[in-house]
Amino acid sequence: MEKIASEAQAVEFVRAAREARTPFEIVAGGTRRQVGKPMADLPRLDVSGLSGIVKYEPAELIITAAPSTPLTEITSVLTEKGQRLGFDPADWSRLLGSNGVATLGGAASADASGSGRLRHGAARDSLLAFRGINGQGEAFRGGAKVVKNVTGFDLPKLVCGAYGSLCVLTELTFRVFPKPPLAVTLCLAGVEPEIGFAALRKIALSALEPAGLAYLPATMMPGVRQGAALIKLEGARQPLEEKIALAHGLLGQAAQRIEEDPFPAIASGEKFADVPGHVWRVMVAPADAPRVAKELNAQHWLGDWAGGLIWLAAAPADASRVRAIAAAAKGQAMLLRGSPDARAALGLYAPQAPALAGLSRAVKAAFDPLGLFNPGRLA
Amino acid sequence: MLLPPTNAKIVARRAEIIASLREIVPDGVVADESGLATFDSDALSAYHQMPLVCVLPSNRQQVSEILKYAQAEGIPIVPRGSGTSLSGGALPREDGILIGMGRMKRILEIDYENGCVTVEPGVTNLNITKAVEANGFYYAPDPSSQVACSIGGNVAENSGGLHCLKYGLTTNNLLGVTFVLPGGEIVTIGGKCGAQGGLDLLGLITGSEGLLGVVVEVVVKILRKPPVTRTLMASFDTVTEAGACVAAVIADGVVPAAMEFMDGRAAEAIESYNQPGYPLGSAAILIVDADGVEADVSHAISRVTEIVTQCGGKAVEATDEKQRARIWSGRKAAFAAMGKLAPDMICMDGTIPRHALPFVLDEMAKLSEKYELGFCNVFHAGDGNLHPLIIFDIMKPGEFERAEAFGADILRLCVKVGGVLSGEHGVGVEKRDLMTDMFTPEELALQGRVKCAFDAQGLFNPGKVFPTLSACVEQGHIHVHGAQLPHPHLPRF
Repeated sequence: MEKIASEAQAVEFVRAAREARTPFEIVAGGTRRQVGKPMADLPRLDVSGLSGIVKYEPAELIITAAPSTPLTEITSVLTEKGQRLGFDPADWSRLLGSNGVATLGGAASADASGSGRLRHGAARDSLLAFRGINGQGEAFRGGAKVVKNVTGFDLPKLVCGAYGSLCVLTELTFRVFPKPPLAVTLCLAGVEPEIGFAALRKIALSALEPAGLAYLPATMMPGVRQGAALIKLEGARQPLEEKIALAHGLLGQAAQRIEEDPFPAIASGEKFADVPGHVWRVMVAPADAPRVAKELNAQHWLGDWAGGLIWLAAAPADASRVRAIAAAAKGQAMLLRGSPDARAALGLYAPQAPALAGLSRAVKAAFDPLGLFNPGRLA
Repeated sequence: MLLPPTNAKIVARRAEIIASLREIVPDGVVADESGLATFDSDALSAYHQMPLVCVLPSNRQQVSEILKYAQAEGIPIVPRGSGTSLSGGALPREDGILIGMGRMKRILEIDYENGCVTVEPGVTNLNITKAVEANGFYYAPDPSSQVACSIGGNVAENSGGLHCLKYGLTTNNLLGVTFVLPGGEIVTIGGKCGAQGGLDLLGLITGSEGLLGVVVEVVVKILRKPPVTRTLMASFDTVTEAGACVAAVIADGVVPAAMEFMDGRAAEAIESYNQPGYPLGSAAILIVDADGVEADVSHAISRVTEIVTQCGGKAVEATDEKQRARIWSGRKAAFAAMGKLAPDMICMDGTIPRHALPFVLDEMAKLSEKYELGFCNVFHAGDGNLHPLIIFDIMKPGEFERAEAFGADILRLCVKVGGVLSGEHGVGVEKRDLMTDMFTPEELALQGRVKCAFDAQGLFNPGKVFPTLSACVEQGHIHVHGAQLPHPHLPRF
């Protein structure tokens, strides 16, 4: 394992690896190493030294940081100025049993978008620019540090969710969003999935700009009959009260206020940390959630993003059934937690249609012609 | 502007190519001179070129067969939506097939349960909103040309509009596309589930300016129309105060639905043009829209009013819908108003970090003296997208060349302060040769390899976006004569 702390060192490392034709694994905080296809025992490039905030400009709504900057550091700096990252990055380390430190680059590379994705989009919607090293050993940038830009191909989109397969990231610039001063979660308890998800969609398709919409069945929320729809609203005091009243009007009934924010524990997957088996994230059209959840028939599951994301734990033997249900719903089933053998066999996602898979390989080769970076992890 | 040389062998085969295309699309091949003249330019009217032939498919199978044929025969393809591009993205080639998507304009599905609409690429931006507005929904990106521009063209250019800061660009409102690759393969990328199961090819295709393939179906998000919108106008004695106000509003946590800046020159020209009530003698004017639920909007308007006052400006709120419309009518007439001051005008499109605005305006004033040409600025202040308008008289020797050089210097200035060559109009042919000012040779080579991943033969929109030839003319503008853009009925910027 080699540790680097600058872009110049990253260039040097990649050039040497290219010279020697040696693929390698890129590791920052290490919390997401157990996601995706396991890589053969490859040399590791430790990029944890590429850490720290480079420039934070609250009035420009942008922050530039090295990729291994801990998420906690980013969050605390932004919170001081009443701002936040739009994609609400999730730390999966408890779910995945890691003692590492979740980083900005890791969250972007894994597109670990949390419950707030509902309001401000995924990581790819906020990443404005990056610097990285391509497979030729050249430092390059993608995008630009402004919020509106159509100059050249939109490369920042590609690196989000690419699991380090395109380049060694050395710097990231995110758009940030104001963090409303107050938030409250409404709990509509005692409802079946059908009713609960319908309530969530009603709020999602309103002008209330909700910050979280999840449904938890009774198995995931002890003390509740059937299940509960959770609705997170935000604003300054007066607007928030108005939104709560409007939400009650849309729901046709008053929901109970919960003071503690239940969403971080939903987005981190920690509710599944002690449940055995595979853990899946299944993305579907929100209106399909009740039906898909019923078909999946898991004991431990929940729906986030107003139904657009279903988390579940399933026995390893159920893997092909989970994938088939997702495919039939024109969705995607991502295997977030599984044994190395299972991950090797199942991949992170189901195999793509041949034409798409071919395109993805060709795009990867445009960045990394020799296949040096995290080989096979995403494929 | 140098485009890749015409392949005379292809031109010589014109009759045979027309016949082959007629076999694929019997009722949609335009080959006569007067018919083709309609397609010889897009809204970047300084450039004209008759296409070899224009084909208007009416379904995806035809698109696929056209592309299969073109690849087998090595014939260049130029895709075109409504032809409203301001950067020459749809400029035809003498040896290329122009593939117009205007006949594919069906709305395929409106899905209120999932908040999305599936359409063919020729549907206009505004027609998506019209299809859902009776139910209280709308499609958020609103480029000024929205009555005419097509959603397929919006995907190709990643179109923006006045409301990008709050609602994002096309790329942030797109769930999926069906796309025909060079060679004819039809692929579906993304969809209602909003996931792709691999690399974000949807994000790559969006804004790719017709270099990677042809969009044949689009799934977009629709949003609930905000119940309340209120508008504030603020005037300032200095540009610095206005710039500080914009920064303070953003830093305060307010996200206006729109925040437009006009410098004093623009405001004066507009006021004498259609009298929207802009205070004369101000160095800068801001127009701010807030939308959302009532209390959110009240909160935003009162915060912005306080901040304007603290920054030394004067704020006036529109008291009714009529006054709102009047304030906005001025901003929307900026182009026509400047057209009254001189016979010709070019409009630029760059983005800068907001804090650089006073510096950039100062530098532009110096450039204006250097080139001895007038100019003014309108600016989407919320997202930093700057539209300088340069006025000149093409009949006066040397003025056009000076205007072009002035424009190119402005874009270089945008890049120098950390901004970009294009915020929303695209690179096309217009800014192609300035790409080397923004990207290193390695960066351009990488983007070139990405292009090759889709289009190994380089048949799609050759000569656009990437400088394949050495720079030969200064560029980066839209040329307007007699205040008339192509599509003069469309509001712009």
